[in-house]
Formats: sequence, C-alpha cells, structure tokens
Amino acid sequence: MSFLARLALASALNRRWTLGLTLAAVALSVALLLGVERLREGARTGFVQSVSGTDLIVGPRTGGVQLLLYSVFRIGNATNNISWVSAQVLGQHPAVAWTIPVSLGDTHRSFPVLGTTEAYFTHFRHGDQRALSLAQGRPFAGLFEVVLGSEVARALGYQLGQGITLSHGASELSLAAEALTQAAEHGDKPFTVVGILAPTGTPVDRTLHVTLESMSALHLDWQGGAPLPGLKIPAEFVRKFDLAPKDVNAVLVGLKNRSDVFRMQRFVNEFRGEPLLGILPGVTLDELWGLLAVAERALKAISALVVAVGLAGLVAVVLAGLNERRRELAILRSVGARPGDIFALLMVEGVLVIGLGVVLGVVLLAAVFTAVTPWAQTQFGLALGGTMGGTLPAAAEWPLIAAVFAAGTLASAVPAWRAYRLSLADGLTPRV
Amino acid sequence: MRTLTSPVKLVPWLVAMLSAPVLAAGAHDHGGGRLDVSIEKERITIELELPLDVLVGFERAPRNDKERAALAAAGKKLNDGAALFLPTAAAECRLTKTEVSLPFAEGTKTAATGEHADADARYEFECAQARNLAGIETTLFRDFSRLYRLELQRVGPVGQAGGRLTRKAPVVRW
Repeated sequence: MSFLARLALASALNRRWTLGLTLAAVALSVALLLGVERLREGARTGFVQSVSGTDLIVGPRTGGVQLLLYSVFRIGNATNNISWVSAQVLGQHPAVAWTIPVSLGDTHRSFPVLGTTEAYFTHFRHGDQRALSLAQGRPFAGLFEVVLGSEVARALGYQLGQGITLSHGASELSLAAEALTQAAEHGDKPFTVVGILAPTGTPVDRTLHVTLESMSALHLDWQGGAPLPGLKIPAEFVRKFDLAPKDVNAVLVGLKNRSDVFRMQRFVNEFRGEPLLGILPGVTLDELWGLLAVAERALKAISALVVAVGLAGLVAVVLAGLNERRRELAILRSVGARPGDIFALLMVEGVLVIGLGVVLGVVLLAAVFTAVTPWAQTQFGLALGGTMGGTLPAAAEWPLIAAVFAAGTLASAVPAWRAYRLSLADGLTPRV
Repeated sequence: MRTLTSPVKLVPWLVAMLSAPVLAAGAHDHGGGRLDVSIEKERITIELELPLDVLVGFERAPRNDKERAALAAAGKKLNDGAALFLPTAAAECRLTKTEVSLPFAEGTKTAATGEHADADARYEFECAQARNLAGIETTLFRDFSRLYRLELQRVGPVGQAGGRLTRKAPVVRW
C-alpha cells in the first residue's frame, strides 16, 4: 500500500498546479463551514458573558429583545423611560439585593455614555461572575467625573485627569450638528477622567460612565433635546439645582435569592405606578437566538453548499485529468498493476487532497480568528467566546470535519471508479 | 431573475419579530401557557399559568352541569402535580406543595377580570438526588388537548434559559 501512496504523491506532484488550486478551494470551503459554526458559538458565549450576574432587567414596556439590546449591549435605542420613583421602589423591594440604573443617550466620539450610580462598580458582574476592576484611578464620586471603559481610553489615548466633553444624542447626528453649529455639544460642562476600567471583553469596554446627577446637570439648560436659547447655566452653578434624575432607561436588578426571580418578574410586570417590563436576560437571549436561527440555518446551508462546490471542483479536476493520464494508467497496468490498484491509486490521491484541505482549512480558520478576535472586541466590545481563539477544532466541529472527509472520500470514488473502468477497457495505445 | 425571498424583504419581517412584545403579565394567548421553572439546591419550583380556555374551552362561569363537570375535572388534574410533572426518576423527587387557583371553580370566589381568565398553579418538589436531575417531562399536553405550547423560563445552577415546550417536545431539559 505504501508504494501506492508514494506513486499517488509523485503523480500528484506532477500535476501540482491544478491539484493545488483544488486543494485551496477545499481548504477555503472547510474554513468557511467551520467559521460559521465557530462565530455562532463565539457570539453566544460573548453575549452570555456580558449579562452573567444580572437576574432581571427592568425597563419601559417594549420588546424584551429590544430592552436587552440597548440596556446591556448599547444596540438600538430606548423608546421610553421609567421614572426614577419606580426605579427607587424596585430597589427597596425586600427580594432585591442591588439595582443598577442605566441612563443612555449621550455619546463621546461615537462611544456611548452611561449614567449610573456607584452600585455599578460594586455589583455589575461579567464573564464568570467577575466584578469590574479599575486599572487606574477610582470610581466617579461627584459631578462631572467620568470613568472610561478600557477600549475608550485605548482608542482615544486618554489619561487620568484629562478633560473631555460629551455630545448629546447619537454619534452621527452630533457629528453633523457639530459641523453646523456646535449645538449638540455639552461643551460648557467638561468632564474629568477619574478612572479607567480594566478590560472585560464586554460592551463595558466601549462605554464612558458618569453619575446620574452629571447626566441631569448636562441637560439642565436643555429642553426637547436641544439647548434652550438664551439660557446658559454654567457648570459652577448647577449644584444649586435639584439634580436628582427624573427618569432612567432601564434598571439592572440583582436578587438576594435567585429563585425569587419569577415572583419579582410578576411584581414588575404588574407594577401599579407605570407600565413596566421585567425580563430575564438569559431567557431573552434565547429568544433572540431563536429569532436569528433562520439566518443561522441559511448561513450554514450556504457554507455546506460551498463545501459541495469545492468537492465537485475536486472531482471535476481529477476526472478531467484522467484523460491525460490514460497513458500513465495504461503503463501502470502493463507493469502489473491490477485494476484494483488503479482504483486505490485514485482514491489515495483524493483522500490526500481532502485530508490536506481539511487541515489547511482548520489552520487558516485559526489564523483568521486570531487576527479578527481583537478587532471584534474593539468594534463591538464582545470577546467572541472561548473557542474562538483556539487553534484546535472544538468538540462540536469534529462531526462537521468528519462529514466533509466522508463526503470527499465518497466523491473521490467517482473518478477512481471511472479510472478503474477505463483501465479495463483501455489498451496501451489509446485512440486520441 | 426574480428571487422568491430577497434579503431586503426579510428586513421588515425581522424588525417586526424584534419589536414583538414579549408575553408580559396580562398577555393572554389561547392555546399557549407559561411555565416558569426554578431550581435551587434540592428544590424545584414550577409555576404554571394557563388560559382557562385551554383547560375547559370557555372563560366564564360554567352555565350547566357539563361545564361544571369539566371545570371540576380540570381542577382535579391540576391538583395532581405528581402526575403532571415528571422529573428524572434518578433524582428521586417528590411533590411537597401544590397550590392551584382555578377561576369559577366551586368554593372559589372569582372577581370579574374582564374577558379572559387564567388558571395559576404552583408546585414544589424536593429532590433527594438533585444532581441526577436531567429534565422534567410534563403530561399537560396529553391532559389538555387544547394546549399547543408553553413558553418556558427557567433558572438554575447553570443560569437562565428560555424556550418553548410543545406537544412534540414536552420536556424541560438542561
């Protein structure tokens, strides 16, 4: 058998360009197939890690998925607010251990600004129940102090003690407004960087954190989303005003006893003060994956088709090559090779290309993900999960690899069978 | 070439799906119910909410003996928690508490609650070998032929998860 392998290798080397291209096609299609699967898994782990410690998210009555996306992932917009009174009532419920208010809407150079309380630094959990830790400085303590997520500090090169100004509304809007009138800038009330958080691999990294009072102070002389003309309240006077927040976008809730979560959810959904919605982040994430399942299946089907195309290419190349190899195969027959040997020779060649293609595909994928993971983290604040950076295929990927290999072996049998038939029928002097 | 479903056409559909309100309190869905399962140490707590329509086919006070009998039968089934929910046998769970509130049933006073009525039930199981717990099967779909799906929320040692139980998949797994 080993001489067959050597023979196949030598013959393949002779046709290295066509086979090489086929090999590349197989490798790429394998990388795509596994990549789709890995991206899916990675995204799920990343999302789950961002909400690991929160039992319940309370917001205005809207879609559960929407509430989760904006309160945790800063994706999309809040359509409504909940009153600060309701948020405080929630915090005083006997089953509640802690609450973290979430107030969004302002940005700084396209990074979201989050208004919250000190509870954020003590109670927010990510990943495997890890608390936030400060790489430098301290949590905010008063007005006009800001704590940066690690990615904000890195991307903008900010240091402790630096002064920055926030913009009102979404980034694109404020950029346009900035160009026109500077109207949407909170330029009169600069913030000082007092702390920089350690990286978390969650959207926290892309967020600037300020107190709720700072958030109110910014908008004292604003009405209806724009500065009131003729009214300017300088930063040194805002302390004279009542800066207690009027409303927040959502409240993250941690419970003393996790199994109370359904009771608490009912309390929230039947809240008398105003219509509220309480969601279990884990449940809503599952709902989101359920919605995305259609797209996932489509992606999977497409990548499977790409593999099929790659294998078809392989078969086509080997089949086409058979014609020019009639002489080669006939000579082999004349020196004693049985038709079975010819069949085996072609099979070995096919399996070799498939095997090499799979290995190359896996290596390629590992390389791509190693390169892309930091980018995904900076762009979306999502550490794309554990398996992403791994070089070895995860457990879930082995069946896919096996399937590709089996399909490839089966496909290789087509030219092998044809050669087997030809070698029986063909003489030493083929009609050309 | 005309495509059957262009990606652009999918966009409004996706938006609609994303903005669909979740089944919050007060939501009432004929054919569907809600099932909340929480596991803490040895204790499983199951909370069930079913539209009365699923149980008996009407959502008002019973008008004749047949309807009264249907209501009584539904109450009897709901009260038999050990038959409705079957945790993995190896976990050695036993039912310790059952609370059923069935509107319009005899002996219960039901205030007029608008057009719909829901039955609520709460069951508690204690499991001697909680580590062996792999799932809980429900026979609700067999008992109530008008029930098509249960929206599931569960919390436990491995975190939160959601899902849907159906006639074909009547098991809570984790």
